[in-house]
Amino acid sequence: MSSRNRLMFAVAAVGMLISAAAGAQEYPTKPITLIVPWPAGGSTDLTMRAIAESASKILGQPIAIDNKAGGGGTVGPATMAAASKPDGYTIAQLPITVFRLPLMQEVSWDPSKDFSYIVHLTGYTFGVTTSAESPFKTWKDVIDFAKQNPGKVTYATPGTGTSLHIGMEQIATMAGVKLTQVPFKGGAETNAAVLGQHTMLQADSTGWRPLVDAGKLRLLMVWTGTRSPNFPDVPTLKELGYPMVYDSPFGIAGPKGMDPKIVAKLHDAFKKALEDPAVVATLAKYDMVPNYKNTEDYKKFVVEVTESERKVIDSLGLAKK
Amino acid sequence: MSNDSNVKFRLDNSELWGGLIGLALGGFVIWHGIKLKLGTIHEPGSGFVLFYVGILMSLFAVSIIIASLTEGGPTFGSRWENTRWTKPLLIIACLTAFSFSLDTFGFPLSSIPLMVLLLRLIDPVRWSLTIPIAVLAPLGMWWVLKRLLLIQLPSGIFEIG
Amino acid sequence: MDTLINVAHGFGVALLPINLLYCFIGVFIGTLVGVLPGIGPISAMSLLLPVTLSGTPESGIIMMAGIYYGSMYGGSTTSILVNIPGEAASVVTCIDGHQMAKQGRAGPALGISAFGSFIAGTFALIALMLVAPSLASVAIAFGPAEYFSLMALGLVVLTFLTQGSMAKALLMACIGIVLGLIGLDSITAQPRLTFGRIELIDGIGLVPVVMGLFGVAEVLLNTEQVIKRDIINARITQLLPSKADWKASAGPIGRGTVLGFFLGILPGGGAVISSFASYALEKRLSKTPERFGHGAIEGVAGPESANNAAAGGAFIPLMTLGIPPNVVMALLLGAFVIHGLQPGPLLITQNPGLFWGIVASMYIGNVMLLVLNLPMIGMWVQLLKLPYNILFPLIILFTILGVYCSSNNVFDVYVMIAFGIIGYFMRKLGYEPAPLVLAFVLGPMLENNLRKSLILSQGDLTTFVTRPISAVCLALAVLLLVGPLLPSLRKKRELVALDEGA
Repeated sequence: MSSRNRLMFAVAAVGMLISAAAGAQEYPTKPITLIVPWPAGGSTDLTMRAIAESASKILGQPIAIDNKAGGGGTVGPATMAAASKPDGYTIAQLPITVFRLPLMQEVSWDPSKDFSYIVHLTGYTFGVTTSAESPFKTWKDVIDFAKQNPGKVTYATPGTGTSLHIGMEQIATMAGVKLTQVPFKGGAETNAAVLGQHTMLQADSTGWRPLVDAGKLRLLMVWTGTRSPNFPDVPTLKELGYPMVYDSPFGIAGPKGMDPKIVAKLHDAFKKALEDPAVVATLAKYDMVPNYKNTEDYKKFVVEVTESERKVIDSLGLAKK
Repeated sequence: MSNDSNVKFRLDNSELWGGLIGLALGGFVIWHGIKLKLGTIHEPGSGFVLFYVGILMSLFAVSIIIASLTEGGPTFGSRWENTRWTKPLLIIACLTAFSFSLDTFGFPLSSIPLMVLLLRLIDPVRWSLTIPIAVLAPLGMWWVLKRLLLIQLPSGIFEIG
Repeated sequence: MDTLINVAHGFGVALLPINLLYCFIGVFIGTLVGVLPGIGPISAMSLLLPVTLSGTPESGIIMMAGIYYGSMYGGSTTSILVNIPGEAASVVTCIDGHQMAKQGRAGPALGISAFGSFIAGTFALIALMLVAPSLASVAIAFGPAEYFSLMALGLVVLTFLTQGSMAKALLMACIGIVLGLIGLDSITAQPRLTFGRIELIDGIGLVPVVMGLFGVAEVLLNTEQVIKRDIINARITQLLPSKADWKASAGPIGRGTVLGFFLGILPGGGAVISSFASYALEKRLSKTPERFGHGAIEGVAGPESANNAAAGGAFIPLMTLGIPPNVVMALLLGAFVIHGLQPGPLLITQNPGLFWGIVASMYIGNVMLLVLNLPMIGMWVQLLKLPYNILFPLIILFTILGVYCSSNNVFDVYVMIAFGIIGYFMRKLGYEPAPLVLAFVLGPMLENNLRKSLILSQGDLTTFVTRPISAVCLALAVLLLVGPLLPSLRKKRELVALDEGA
């Protein structure tokens, strides 16, 4: 048995290394799990890792990222709401689909009741790309092709009900064409799908940037209000004649019933993390603009966003029957 | 197969019951698949794959049942022949009791009795060895996990552990 | 020539004393977490990520890679010794590895898996150096239709793992798929088969299923044997593989390596599929397939090499496209980003020192692992000398803790106990757990990709046969399924199935 004890000991020593930094006995006394409801390697995952890394230094405990992808980013928060204790050791990134999907279908969570909102962080830059080998040079090429071949144009999204899905449907309605959505789990998967030309287009957040920089993907449009300084030649939705801006802002939340003191502690840590130069640099790399809102403002924002989403969903005929 | 000379329908044919359980599970999965909605072939729904997997399960189960009826198969008695079948049952009983007590009494208070039972009931280990192993192994691991890896094992209503 | 200069440069980086130290710490921790089921490389790496940030990017990433590598090594140890696979990829190792241990050949089993891993790891790295950029296209050639067909082929191959009847193996595989689908639907976020239990929303964990079906069920089966003090034979003849073992293993290691490397490139499931594909291949090629399942050394050498070669192959999509093929790779990617690097097509050209340094360090890590692991074999074998009546309660305690640590959830302990009991009765009735576990891992991917490909093709089923890669996979699957019906092949299966129905 001495062998096993020795093993445990060595693992233990490593544990000490980590816990040495902790010291204080109040919350947090053990590692925190942050659920990122997207597959590893996408823009959300990578930026959340950077933010978590910075926040963990402030909190004095490691924050482990748990990638629970699926359902357009709702599987992770829904699992947390259903199964986690509100002790502050499990929190999740809350994408806008958490508010939108309940309007479209039966779901297991209620966004107005099941979460303790902590802090609002940032939003995305979305864009539509195609493979560099594709015949589509501009967005107009896509629309021309789609007009002749209704339903033949396929686009990969990070999930049904995501802003990318809703946005593309709005564009299609305005342009009078029919496009086919293929729901993946997130950026890492949509990148592979469009690179391998399994789908003709990819609608996703800036996880595609390294591939666009390397000339493997062609960026057809961005969904921001003004052109991105990183891609000055790429038109915005507005310039293409669709009067819309999509940025899908997001924040983090825990299960319902969290102690306000713990919420405040997490809020302060993540707020500070958002100001960390390393985090600012990572966000900039993915064209994401910090969009800080405190706990109260975040709650108000959730109500507003649910109302505005309801209108869009109704107008597209996607509302729950 | 060795016994196909005297194939006849026997209720204690273990193959038959294995197949029947499989068939029941298959039916259950099909039913759930339908309940979850199949969707269309253009856009398969949540129950699509469950439904077809359920059908496959039923098919395989039926083929097992047919084989058991035509070729016969080992009886339950023969499967457990020459074995100390009470021993696994004892372990199962201990584990079941353990799983009920784990949440209520916590890890140290549940696992020490479990270890004592396992060490004494199956092939009895002498007491002078049983006690140290049953006490030191769970407590040692509990200490390492709690103090050093910061993993909190269930402590139960008495808050021990 | 460029490559040579780069490799030399890489070794220059990797051989810096500080990087050697980090590499050693990495492989050491990796071996430990690999041996402890439940505490997998993922949790160890996420916890240690902050520690790696103190040094240079190279040191940090070298250490993380070491943990990953080391855990692939350690995973086979518990499979062989006590029939508890540490991760899905070592499920196959249990089949013959544990049988070898029971026959007193734990030493050669551990030895061949260490050497096999080393050889495969080395080959994978050389291949990584020479052909990484040109293989990037392989990773993206697989779309939903191709993945579906590959998974279907994988499930058919599964049935070759078993000794019993095909129908039983297929039934087990189907049950595995269904168990894998429990939880929220990955496309519509609807709860499936959760019976209103909130614990099931997240699905059933792999760790409790595997530990129950293998670890606990094995204990139950062993204890029902009439007093055979040493169920695991203590009469240990040798510690290292003999000449005959080497002769039998050379082919499997070579084939396993190539198979593992190519399947490892595919994002998702590559390592798991490669391990059992290699097992099935060896069983197919063997002149004496009846030995498989009863302690054939080929059945350890092949899969162990395959899953280590797959670990090397997995770096290709990460380094060349920035697409991580599994969660461990994603953690590495996270480490890149936190260090301010941009993984993707430009990484190799922009940071050649980093890329080649990592590759070289993995090579050194492999050597360290071999040196670290060989002396430990003797130690492990000693453990088996404990009488079984003392060993088995410890195994049970160990599985309970492992399961609890993997999720911090008492519910998972219940799941493990339930699967232990189910596993016992399954094994008694001649149903084997391996197909169930592997289908459990592949099932969700199979479902998701089937649905996506049907959406893509607009309900046209011919998409699976008109796309070449997909068509090849399906053709192979059909051949394997129909094969046993053909007279020439039938004999072989019957030989294998002899011990059934007795």
